[in-house]
Amino acid sequence: MELPVFWANYISVALFVLLGCGVWSIPKSAVVPKEYAHARWRDLRWWATGLIVLQILLYAFFS
Amino acid sequence: MHPIDLAIVVAYVALITSVGIRFSQRIKTAKDFFLAGRSLTWWVIGLSIIGTNVDTNGYIGASGNAYSIGIAQANFEWIGAIPAMIIAALIFIPLYWRAGVYSIPEYLGLRYNAAVRVVSAAIVVVVSVFAMGIAMWALAVTLQTFIGWPIWLGILVSGTVVGLYSIAGGLAAVAITDSIQVCIMFVCGLIIVGIGISDAGGADSFASKLLAENPTHLSAYLPADHEGYPWHGVILGLGLVLSPAYWVGSQAILQRTLGAKTQWDASAGMMFAALAKTFVPLLIIFPGLLALVMVADIEYPDMALPWVIKNVLPVGVSGLMFVAIIAALQSSIDSSINSTALIITRDIRHVLMKNHNPEADLVIGRMLTLGLLLCAMGIAPFIGDLGGIFNFLQFLLSLFQGPLLALLLLGALTQRATASAGIITLASGVVLAGLLSWVLDMNLLFVAFFSFCYAVVALWTISGFTQPHSQEHLRNLSYSPWRDR
Repeated sequence: MELPVFWANYISVALFVLLGCGVWSIPKSAVVPKEYAHARWRDLRWWATGLIVLQILLYAFFS
Repeated sequence: MHPIDLAIVVAYVALITSVGIRFSQRIKTAKDFFLAGRSLTWWVIGLSIIGTNVDTNGYIGASGNAYSIGIAQANFEWIGAIPAMIIAALIFIPLYWRAGVYSIPEYLGLRYNAAVRVVSAAIVVVVSVFAMGIAMWALAVTLQTFIGWPIWLGILVSGTVVGLYSIAGGLAAVAITDSIQVCIMFVCGLIIVGIGISDAGGADSFASKLLAENPTHLSAYLPADHEGYPWHGVILGLGLVLSPAYWVGSQAILQRTLGAKTQWDASAGMMFAALAKTFVPLLIIFPGLLALVMVADIEYPDMALPWVIKNVLPVGVSGLMFVAIIAALQSSIDSSINSTALIITRDIRHVLMKNHNPEADLVIGRMLTLGLLLCAMGIAPFIGDLGGIFNFLQFLLSLFQGPLLALLLLGALTQRATASAGIITLASGVVLAGLLSWVLDMNLLFVAFFSFCYAVVALWTISGFTQPHSQEHLRNLSYSPWRDR
């Protein structure tokens, strides 16, 4: 028995959510140098979150 | 070719060459040549990564594939890239920076042993030389198609242009010219999207025309029984193995992150590349879909993009698009030449020649760049006859991806993996991948997945019985952002 193809989109979205959880479990000190600590745009976890949200929207749209 | 288009091509060649030669004045040491003197900023790194990544297959081949299978081709840009790029940015790039290495084989050599370093370096060199030959040949064919140059003239001119800025300016020139080339590609891609949707009568009309004859062409995944790209194979093989192996282990890609001015710029550069990568389907997928919607009269799918350039784009823009294709090819060739020269100089010469003189690295690097370029130019005219060999090399590379990724992952994230286990796992993993492919005739996506799973288990288990490196040795060679801050 094989899963229907739309499950691939659900699995992809789930993988991206899991990746997002992994990203936010990384401490800020590991991704932002001390000298940039005051600048939120330097926090690469936000960059990663933006990318992940974009991917989730794409896989939701092209399902 | 229309004179306006020709003028655009000439202007582009003049711009790229002058930029490259300007950077040559900054080259004083091997570090300047191979790592741009560690001076690159995040946005240059990001654009350069995309320039290196989008090659002939990425441009002409992907448009052809999109013509055949639709938006599912975009998985190579989305789930087949973005997660691995995020992981590379947050875990592997910081690790390579801590280790202070010039190359990925150098990291493997420090983490495991010299044998792993030389084997991985040799594989990269052999495959790169032939890949550069292929790219050079594709460039010459493109020139022949659009402006009627014979193949030999196309190879000579394009090789000379690439050689001028690569040999003179090193990684800095390569990265800056890559950035210009990617900007040209995106401008052309957006123009094609605008013209295509406008000609089709709007986005809704475009989608309904496309789906009328091709109902699955806007579905991200294809059924499990699809011969080439079954959805579970794409997620397991491409998403979990081949993509991470490429994005955390490709020297051509990662070399510009090692040339960043700070570790933050290196990681941010990869993140920025991931953002650009998300929109790459506009450049390479959309033309294939547009050819379908416009009912293009083409003999085979790879003609989709040339058809769009010839029949859809107005004068001037078609010249710019022609430049974009040349740019895609050149940016892949220049990056491969620079990274391969680095690997031969440091990962093969330094290991095999015990009495090497590091002061000679710059001269040797430049000579190797010239030698590799001449090799690629020499092979290029015969690529048509060597097609079988190139397929074999691609196949050979795919056998190493799973085991090499296991070595990188366990080597980077844990201190358990040992040198002996590394070489045993690499050898046995490649043999297993070969058997799965030859004996069971398994799809390469699944070969990659199963050989990776085996290699993880084997490396973990064998490491329990073999002598590990000291914790002092591993201090900067394994890294976890959750553990080490």
